[in-house]
Amino acid sequence: MSALTQKFLRNPSLLWSGVILLAYAYFCYLMLDISLQYIPFDTDVAFLRIKQDYIGLEHYKLAFFTHVYTSFFCLLAGFTQFSPFVRKKLPSLHRSGGWLYAVSILFLAAPSGFIIGIYANGGLPSQIAFCLLALLWIWTTGKAIWEIKQKNFQAHRFWMIRSFALTMSAITLRAWKYIIVALFHPRPMDAYMIVAWLGWVLNLLIAEYIIYRLKK
Amino acid sequence: MKRFIFPILLLFLFSCGGEQQNTQTTETKEQAPKEEIAAPTPPSPETPPTMDHNPLGMYVGAFEASKYGAGNAPSYSNLINISINRIEDEIVYGHSVVAGNIRPFEGSVKKVGDTNYMVEAKEPGDDRYDGSFKFSIILGTEASINGTWTANDTKLAVSERKYNLKKRQYDYDPELNLPVSVTYDGLYDTWSGDEAETLTSSVTEINASKAVLKKEDVENLYKADLEFIRNTVYARHGYSFKNRRVRYVFDNHVEWYIPVSTDIRDLLTDVEKENIELIKRYEEHAEEYYDSFGR
Repeated sequence: MSALTQKFLRNPSLLWSGVILLAYAYFCYLMLDISLQYIPFDTDVAFLRIKQDYIGLEHYKLAFFTHVYTSFFCLLAGFTQFSPFVRKKLPSLHRSGGWLYAVSILFLAAPSGFIIGIYANGGLPSQIAFCLLALLWIWTTGKAIWEIKQKNFQAHRFWMIRSFALTMSAITLRAWKYIIVALFHPRPMDAYMIVAWLGWVLNLLIAEYIIYRLKK
Repeated sequence: MKRFIFPILLLFLFSCGGEQQNTQTTETKEQAPKEEIAAPTPPSPETPPTMDHNPLGMYVGAFEASKYGAGNAPSYSNLINISINRIEDEIVYGHSVVAGNIRPFEGSVKKVGDTNYMVEAKEPGDDRYDGSFKFSIILGTEASINGTWTANDTKLAVSERKYNLKKRQYDYDPELNLPVSVTYDGLYDTWSGDEAETLTSSVTEINASKAVLKKEDVENLYKADLEFIRNTVYARHGYSFKNRRVRYVFDNHVEWYIPVSTDIRDLLTDVEKENIELIKRYEEHAEEYYDSFGR
């Protein structure tokens, strides 16, 4: 048995980290796969096949492709930020990763998310859900950056947990959709509306619980 | 920070492969089918039944298997349209339309009495599903055809069929739509438990031949409903379906349906073309993404 395997088996928390890393990598791969459907640039593929009413709008087109092409970077950059190892041993990676994370959200993924949210499938409830998500994403990410500029490490950490919980909604809402469809076979737009809320509200509640436990 | 594990793990448990077979089921049947089927309308008293003296025309009804060969997966019953096109010097010319197949036939016809004709006719024989017809045309207030068909190739899944057809007239009518009874039966090949797939009442409410549909009309529909709303357009034009899943519904549940042709592309109206385009988009989207990880 290699030294690395032994190290893993003796240390359950390390094992967990490995499992999480693999799961996260798998979902990031699925997300990347979704984004890659739009390369080369095409306005009549995949999800856009049912968005033909809006794709003609220049601001929608710009927002959609910005969102699709940048969201993967938020997921990738965000994940490195919670590793104690990176934080302590590679602070410069933590800072540059954090910079990529914050910039891609604040200036690209979240504002574009807000714009496409206005045209979301599933009617007003979905539209409110996605627009609110975009605003909260900007708020929590911006707040976390502001706190670290003030050297409030604890507050920075908590706001980043909230921010990343919202970032994770890219994965969770798609996973919920898969689960709900498999279990209940709802009509497509009904499913859409349900996961538009379920996808991030639950994440935020879990984030609050994590913060509550960390505070104790 | 280790507690953050939890949501991610939860996700991991529900691994999202995307390729599993999840046939959509719809609401369970709520009413007993028989009560809903409209009673046949009694003939109105103003128009007394008239005698039909013309043997020419379309005769429509079930084409039922009566003898089986060795082949697999027979179609027990299809809706057939036998058209008598011309009778000349005791020779009959006609064609049949069934299950997406149009075949001409030609043969002898003998008049028996005032109202009956005996016909013995053959299909050309260059198609492996060709055979010969033997039937009588019975004229009267309700003209009909009654007889058998025998396959040239006795090894076919069905080597002999019988039929009792009523004379009907085909007219394109954009108002016609699916009856509610189509929602009571499972779709072809989806009768067993997990696979169960039925249509919903949406198929009786949405008509893609009448007005241009908007995305709001179709975006929340199940894939099967979309599929049948689209195929009903073809059915109104008398399209004869090869596809068993579609054929099963129209042949067995739709009284107004008559298979007339195997190519109706030139007959589609602009409204229909536009609607078909729209519906196909949503059908393809549902097929590819409805039950997968994604939006």
